[in-house]
Amino acid sequence: MKLLNINYQKYKLDNGLEVILHQNKNLPAIAVNVWYKVGSAQETKGKTGIAHLFEHMMFQGSENVEKELHFKYVQESGGSLNASTSIDRTNYYEKLPSNYLELALWLESDRMGFFLPALNQAKLDNQKDVVFNERLERYDNQPYGLAWELLMTNLYDKNHPYSWPTIGFANDIKNYNLDDVVNFFKKHYSPNNASLVVAGNFEVEKTKSLIEKYFAYIESGEELNHIQVVNKKLSEKKVITHEDNVHLERLYLSWSTGIAYGEDEAALDILSDLLTGSKNSRLYKTLVFRKEIAQDISAFQFSGKYAGNFTIVATAKPGHTLDEIKSEIFKEINNIKANGISSKELHRSKIGIKSSFVFSLQNLDSIADHLNSYNFYLNEPNSFSYDLNRYDKVTTEEINNVSEKYLSKLFVELRIIPKRSKT
Amino acid sequence: MKYDRSIKPSPSSEISFRMTSQSKFSLNNELDIYFVKKNDLPIIRLNVIINAGSKFDPINKKGTSNLLTMCIDEGAGKYNALELSEQFDLLGAHFSLNCNNDTIQISLQTLKENFREALDLIGKILTEPHLAEKDFEREKSKIQTQLKQLSDDPDYLANTAFDSILFGESHPYSFPVLGLNDNIANINNDEINDYYSKFILPNNSFIIAVGDITKEELKKNLNGGISDWEKGNADFHVGKVSSPDKKTVYIVNKKDAVQTEIRVGHHSTMKKSKDYYSKHLLNTILGGQFTSRINLNLREKHGYTYGAGSSFNYYKDDAYFGVSTSVGIENTTNTLNEIFYELNNIRNGVTEEELSFAKSSIIRKFPLNFETFRQVASHIIGKVIYDLPDDYYDKYVENINAVTIDEVNKAAAKNIFPDSAMTVLVGDKDKLLKQLKDDNFGEIKVVG
Repeated sequence: MKLLNINYQKYKLDNGLEVILHQNKNLPAIAVNVWYKVGSAQETKGKTGIAHLFEHMMFQGSENVEKELHFKYVQESGGSLNASTSIDRTNYYEKLPSNYLELALWLESDRMGFFLPALNQAKLDNQKDVVFNERLERYDNQPYGLAWELLMTNLYDKNHPYSWPTIGFANDIKNYNLDDVVNFFKKHYSPNNASLVVAGNFEVEKTKSLIEKYFAYIESGEELNHIQVVNKKLSEKKVITHEDNVHLERLYLSWSTGIAYGEDEAALDILSDLLTGSKNSRLYKTLVFRKEIAQDISAFQFSGKYAGNFTIVATAKPGHTLDEIKSEIFKEINNIKANGISSKELHRSKIGIKSSFVFSLQNLDSIADHLNSYNFYLNEPNSFSYDLNRYDKVTTEEINNVSEKYLSKLFVELRIIPKRSKT
Repeated sequence: MKYDRSIKPSPSSEISFRMTSQSKFSLNNELDIYFVKKNDLPIIRLNVIINAGSKFDPINKKGTSNLLTMCIDEGAGKYNALELSEQFDLLGAHFSLNCNNDTIQISLQTLKENFREALDLIGKILTEPHLAEKDFEREKSKIQTQLKQLSDDPDYLANTAFDSILFGESHPYSFPVLGLNDNIANINNDEINDYYSKFILPNNSFIIAVGDITKEELKKNLNGGISDWEKGNADFHVGKVSSPDKKTVYIVNKKDAVQTEIRVGHHSTMKKSKDYYSKHLLNTILGGQFTSRINLNLREKHGYTYGAGSSFNYYKDDAYFGVSTSVGIENTTNTLNEIFYELNNIRNGVTEEELSFAKSSIIRKFPLNFETFRQVASHIIGKVIYDLPDDYYDKYVENINAVTIDEVNKAAAKNIFPDSAMTVLVGDKDKLLKQLKDDNFGEIKVVG
């Protein structure tokens, strides 16, 4: 599709910073998006969550931007901003009226190059409190909020970098010290470990010289080796039962699969859609619509640079058991393995995926983030068409194959059940 | 380095932005259509807004409007529920239904090439829904289960408790949109069909279409489906019920919670009120964004919370002001003290610097509010629902700019009332009562 062929230029500064420029003059706006190639996978045991702590610390000011002013300058200019941390990377992004491009480049470069001189204990203590509260609000005090952590710590071997939660374990959050922050910054927040996307309404040559002006003299850091990851198979089926403040029981089934953009990922994504993506999907239709034994059901392939998993989540309706649900899920999986899927089902999924690609082009910040993501995983920012083609090429046989290949393996089963009353 | 890094760069030349103009026409059945052409992508977004929200739920039948919303796409015309859903899927269309206090909303987003077919399906849903007993029973059971599930969610508990306490029992906004479980048990399918016949009328609705299409093509596409939707008697309003605010603390007990969900607030004036722009600037300074006073205090200074904010919340027929956050239990009273400090303090006035910051932020952000098809549509929807003037968005920047510091300070005195603000706390009752005993945030009541 011509629409998905996104214009861009990519080059590297002498200090190793990758730059990707994409012109798009629909609105008088620009998006600036920086990826640092560090996520929770680069953490060490005892210091989990520190990659995410940075997502907070990087807004605490740098040598020329005092605490709180980063937010203030962007919002004063009518911009919006945020950051996020995943298992593989941390991103920082802002969207501003196009005449504020230079401000955004100044702010991003100041924290890339001049973060350490402004760091102090008070800022760290404050953000440790904030992150601790974030953990309480988003995980500990949420119904089923600890499920993902329980699944990942059991699915992956205890030394696997995807075995701990991105937010970090509560005890680790309390124990970060200033040295940890300094060392983590020096190691991971160098220009040669980052890529910068500027997307939107700008003049190319002027923008290149502004990028040169603000980023070029930031010193490179050490070259980082890829982390070594051993993907061990589960040696036995694991069943975990966890009591929570909930009324309804919920079942999680999780299988190890493959990496992001790996050979089977597109087929697994489509499989998840065939199982739970719509009213007519196999599991939704049977468990939620016809038999009404589940309140909701979802399936997804979640993968990163080093590993991935396929997970199915279903909540039992009152009066129905997780065993009933589990048995129906496996009945359907076995049915797909034995009898395959229809070409109509496959067609339905593909049409939805195609529309979603076009819909995703509405947001400048989403385009900017995609360019960085494709560049990170595929080394080619303009991969929208390539990505869509991965799905278009999937055949009914491949759906059979991946069902057999992955969903026959040992898996982790997590059951979240209501707390028993203390009588 | 040949320049001084400590100097913040200035913006390059000013940008210009003009919102695309919107047009309006009506069909023979008195359905109003608002249209905005937007052709940067081959997408069309269309919303049908029906004046049939939960505020019209009959007494003891709270949840009727939402149940109709859940049932209306469970089969229509020649398609049963599964077939209808499949038709949308085969068009790659994103279709969704939503019910809120004021309206039922149907949303469609499609590629241009599939617009006509998707629109015809919406026509069927509006005019020939099956609303069959079997589908009704399934959806009813689903919402009953969902409400059970939501009773675990501290955020939902706090919001619904706050609405119920703020608006008082007989007010149409005091009930959750999703309804009440004991009421839902008494709703039958005939009542859903009645609600449909009574409210789902073209002359009780409007449409907003945004996308890559001309007005003429749009008109043609509306012909023969939506245009056949028959009008009826439609003059639906709810009366405003006033209940006085009184400084009180309501505790909703959630045993073993590790946080307290906090809401503090009181009634406020309507969106159409003369000082709307002053109120908007005031709240931008007080709690509308990350750099506002409340968040900087509670998060960046004290580290009590992951985030805190305030807002003026507008319904079609009422409005309120509210502060919202969640904190570790041990910091509940500390947090309340800071919130009440900020509410009192803003009444002492804002600074010129704060005002010019807030103005700059709102005005410069304005063009970015019209980026996606959804954003454009939702701005027009707001304008119609709140009955704002036609040139509302054309004059918006000018109106914000014109507000003086005196007007913002007057707005604070007229719109922020710490002495009659109600507090809702969702958390562990025993721990909260122990902590609150020496403080004065109002009389304490335990509910739920």
